[in-house]
Amino acid sequence: MKTIGHNAVVACIVTAGVVIGSYAATAGAAPNEGSGSGFVWKDGAEVYSKVCAYCHEAKVGPTIRGRRLDPLYIRYMVRNGNRAMPAFRAAEIDEEALTKVAEYVSKSEIDRSGGATQ
Amino acid sequence: MAGKFIALPKGVSEESFAAAVAEFRRVLGQDAVLVTAEQLAPYIKTMMPVPDADHTPSAALLATTVEQIQQIVGICNQYKVPIWTISTGRNFGYGSAAPAERGQVVLDLKRMNRILEVDPDLCFALVEPGVTYKQLYDYIQDHRYPLWLSCPAPSAIAGPTGNTLDRGVGYTPYGEHFLFACGMEVVLATGEVLRTGMGSLPNSNTWQVFKWGYGPYLDGIFTQSNYGIVTKFGFWLMPAPPAFKPFVIQYENEDDIVEIVETIRPLRISGVIPNAVVIAHALYEAPTKAKRSDYMTGPGAIADEAVRQIMKDHKLGAWNVYAALYGTQEQIDVNWKIVTTAFSRSGKAKILTEQEAGDDPAFQYRAALMRGDMTLKEFSLYNWRGGGGSMWFAPVSQARGSETLKQMAMTKRILGKYGLDYAGEFIVGMRDMHHIVDVLYDRTDPAVVKAAYQCFDELLTEFSAEGYGTYRVNTAFMDKVAHTYGPVQRQVHKTLKKALDPNGILAPGKSGIR
Repeated sequence: MKTIGHNAVVACIVTAGVVIGSYAATAGAAPNEGSGSGFVWKDGAEVYSKVCAYCHEAKVGPTIRGRRLDPLYIRYMVRNGNRAMPAFRAAEIDEEALTKVAEYVSKSEIDRSGGATQ
Repeated sequence: MAGKFIALPKGVSEESFAAAVAEFRRVLGQDAVLVTAEQLAPYIKTMMPVPDADHTPSAALLATTVEQIQQIVGICNQYKVPIWTISTGRNFGYGSAAPAERGQVVLDLKRMNRILEVDPDLCFALVEPGVTYKQLYDYIQDHRYPLWLSCPAPSAIAGPTGNTLDRGVGYTPYGEHFLFACGMEVVLATGEVLRTGMGSLPNSNTWQVFKWGYGPYLDGIFTQSNYGIVTKFGFWLMPAPPAFKPFVIQYENEDDIVEIVETIRPLRISGVIPNAVVIAHALYEAPTKAKRSDYMTGPGAIADEAVRQIMKDHKLGAWNVYAALYGTQEQIDVNWKIVTTAFSRSGKAKILTEQEAGDDPAFQYRAALMRGDMTLKEFSLYNWRGGGGSMWFAPVSQARGSETLKQMAMTKRILGKYGLDYAGEFIVGMRDMHHIVDVLYDRTDPAVVKAAYQCFDELLTEFSAEGYGTYRVNTAFMDKVAHTYGPVQRQVHKTLKKALDPNGILAPGKSGIR
């Protein structure tokens, strides 16, 4: 790779799904870009808690857990959005993660305190 | 349209575009080149009052490495295919993830999401464009680093690279984000890779600690621009303070903004109040706890009497000043005395701390933003009118009371003419204010959509006639705003564009630059 500046990433450590590079001075070396993405969703609960919950558990969007929503409906809403709800791209919630979060939301139960549980 | 693609780049034949797509697939693989309507649907949804067709992409490319991006720009040069680069794609109210012009290919860098370095001693981070604030926040928490982020309101799902490159702001002492940027890696239209500042120097370990390097400072030309593709981004993080004291000061009348600004300016410039203070109008905060339909039905802007009732019912001021003190408890005690003395002089201010307002949903989310925590509570704004329409009107004002009152009155008058509410805030810089107004409208009603477009156009026209420029705008109005800054600046931007990107493949139309 042709570089104008040529600082170099020479070490990559995979930690908790995130690749951390340490920078060292290796003159002339190309940055080690690695391959694939750094962050990978673990499961549907993680997608829900780190994305959906910020609106759907905060009285910004409607409650969606505990309503037995059809996973296909959930998938459609995630990819297309709905009015103010933004659409989410496969680049951020990949197909596998979308399947998991749709299943997670669809199967979640309402608990007796009025909240919802998985 | 009939054919293999849902849109085509301007001036590119279907045959030529198909050849380019085949080349993109050779570089990225079949699954990372999206061309179907279903795949591209998330890129098409915007909140702007223009047809989706105006901003429909022809394809989206999910690149993950610098080498891939170098090859992509080579293909784009060969086939004259324009690319619109996004990072987290969360520029809501400014165009979301859609390209500026129909047919542009979205280069989506969300999957390029490695946190490359966080230095807890020197307090900086180096990340790739797809890293979200939430991802970085979790990383810092996991490592128990005493560091705070500064985020815009869509914190959890937005990211530092895109927000800073669009010169967005946050609410902590590091709230003017570009001031705290330090070092970029940029893929140029030639395919060359530039590291700005000290990053160009062999063996340097000062890329993220010294901004200026040697010779002309270049980082600025890669913000709000289309001169390169930023693939690594360095920025400074705030050391977590030993103590933090958020507070809100409420005033009863709209014209109290004059007293507020005159009181705050010296405190902000001197650093007594260190953070990007927000002076939020009642209607900016009301959606966190009130429904508009409980106070107003039918068309037209909400009446002042209804706003007064909302203030009374939901413990809001006409203006609500959110600020915080940071430091040791001793420092905070001293500065708190200065702040309360200054604001108590006229007897108009109602000063509330966590003790009095800690349970209030508006106070809670504002306090979270002022310490760089994740919250999307501000999205409550979108429920105010419903229908998913939103544009940020963002003129810059002097931090002078008379100016802020004039801007508020102008904005409210023009919005009211089109039946829209004034939901505005002033984000206080050192000497400036970002006057941020969410132009909220029902995007499902064609008549309202038309009115919203005309309203926004009139806002830009009237403000520029008064000498007020906007600092940032959605993709439907970029040319208009570029025009307001005059022909000389526009020509300089164009000259740089021709020099750095002679084929015009990088985001044509960004900030009105082609």
